[in-house]
Amino acid sequence: MLPRRRFLQASGLLAAGAVLGRSSLARAADAASATSPRLTLPFANGERELVAYPQKRPLIRLTSRPPQLETPFSIFNDGVLTPNDAFFVRYHLSDIPTSIDLSTFRLRVRGKVNAELSLSLDELKRLATPVDLVAVNQCSGNSRGFFNPRVNGGQLGHGAMGCARWTGVPLRAVLEKAGVAAGARQVAFDGLDRAPLPGTPDFVKALDVDHALDGEVMLAWGMNGADLPVLNGYPLRLVVPGYFGTYWIKHVHDIEVLDRDFTGFWNASAYRMPDTPHHAIAPGTAPKKTVPIARFTIRSFITSHAEGATLPAGREARVRGIAFDSGHGIREVAFSGDGGRNWRAAALGADQGRYGFREWTIPFTPAARGPHTLMARALNRLGESQPLEPLWNPAGYARNVIEPVRIEAV
Amino acid sequence: MKKLLLSSLLPLLGVAALLAAESKPRVVTVTLPTETARLADSPLPGATLATALCYTCHSAEYVLTQPPASSRTYWKNTVIKMQKTFGAPIPDAAIDPLTDYLVKLYGAERAPAR
Repeated sequence: MLPRRRFLQASGLLAAGAVLGRSSLARAADAASATSPRLTLPFANGERELVAYPQKRPLIRLTSRPPQLETPFSIFNDGVLTPNDAFFVRYHLSDIPTSIDLSTFRLRVRGKVNAELSLSLDELKRLATPVDLVAVNQCSGNSRGFFNPRVNGGQLGHGAMGCARWTGVPLRAVLEKAGVAAGARQVAFDGLDRAPLPGTPDFVKALDVDHALDGEVMLAWGMNGADLPVLNGYPLRLVVPGYFGTYWIKHVHDIEVLDRDFTGFWNASAYRMPDTPHHAIAPGTAPKKTVPIARFTIRSFITSHAEGATLPAGREARVRGIAFDSGHGIREVAFSGDGGRNWRAAALGADQGRYGFREWTIPFTPAARGPHTLMARALNRLGESQPLEPLWNPAGYARNVIEPVRIEAV
Repeated sequence: MKKLLLSSLLPLLGVAALLAAESKPRVVTVTLPTETARLADSPLPGATLATALCYTCHSAEYVLTQPPASSRTYWKNTVIKMQKTFGAPIPDAAIDPLTDYLVKLYGAERAPAR
């Protein structure tokens, strides 16, 4: 509602040619921001505020309208399940639902189906036996701020990812209840979030019908044993294991089965990758042909030690981290304490399922005083691993280079 | 026996779960923190336009957090994208002043840091 009112104010001002000076609002804003805790992400113009949103602890604020929040990286060292109050938030359009009434909320299933459905959340919960799945959600543009040359878009550190135990029903059960008609090609998903202007393309994403019916894609209401936080899609969101977050539609309320490929802006023009090996092109160039972004690339992180940390020389430390891929499963995480010259296999933690974060640990003794470069490199069951040099694409998606951490032994 | 007990209990459990579900609040409402970020004042003609137009759909950080070297071409394309792709009511005559403001305050043509 607020954005619409703002729009009216803004267009009125424009029409009148009014000049906005330093309003009392702006002065109040300066006073507020002066008191918010701040941190600086390690790239140019990386200063951010830490702000607590509803149902959230203080998180790194990228934007306030619509809210985009990333998880402070140290939280990934607390365990493989990211707490709901620390889970990242990403919206595209600013008219977001802030009040949701379960007595009126309905999930509609329509289009090329034998029987349209309109389900309350309670009806959906009774439609099939609920399932649990531990899965990583990661924004396509996670780590975009580290691209070199820099690319425009949301300037994120590594905190636009998280791993949760999702509870819901398989999307397949819902689609089978409606009955997918012959000739169906794709399934489009819309959430309650909208744009303040009628001319803005609504945020709708589509999956191929085979993918939608694979039994793994889920309509989830639960996250780590609780209801979804509002900012993570309450009361219902799509969970697309192994796929980038752009497909994980929040507040999902409309499912349309199509007998054609969905051509909406967010599928056909946005979230595209170069159609090249590893979706990479020469830095600073433009792709000739693009394809929709799809699965995660394999990644690993050191979480126990931050850049610039100090370690006692000659004493054994325990280095710890996480790794994940798009669901083939992590086979090995190799660790180097000498900038990539020598590698050793780390011990893998409990397997929470092939879509989750996998913990790894390894003892490390910095023999000499001075700087040491620590690296982790994950390998999955397909043989996919991480490059030493970054791959580049113009949208800043799917970064998965080895992320070195420089520490000082003292 | 165990099986029998469990199956006779199941309907009861179902009812309990239903009751628990029904007792939950049906309306969940959140209040978002106040928006604080602002675009900088400037004598450039685009400053007034930016304040009047950009806030229609998004907060200032969308501009403020872009890489410092963002080019004039990037900012111009972005303004045009807002107009053409996102349907923002940006008059054609506003494109160049907006671009000028954005690149001079938040891009490659910004004044060197003092």
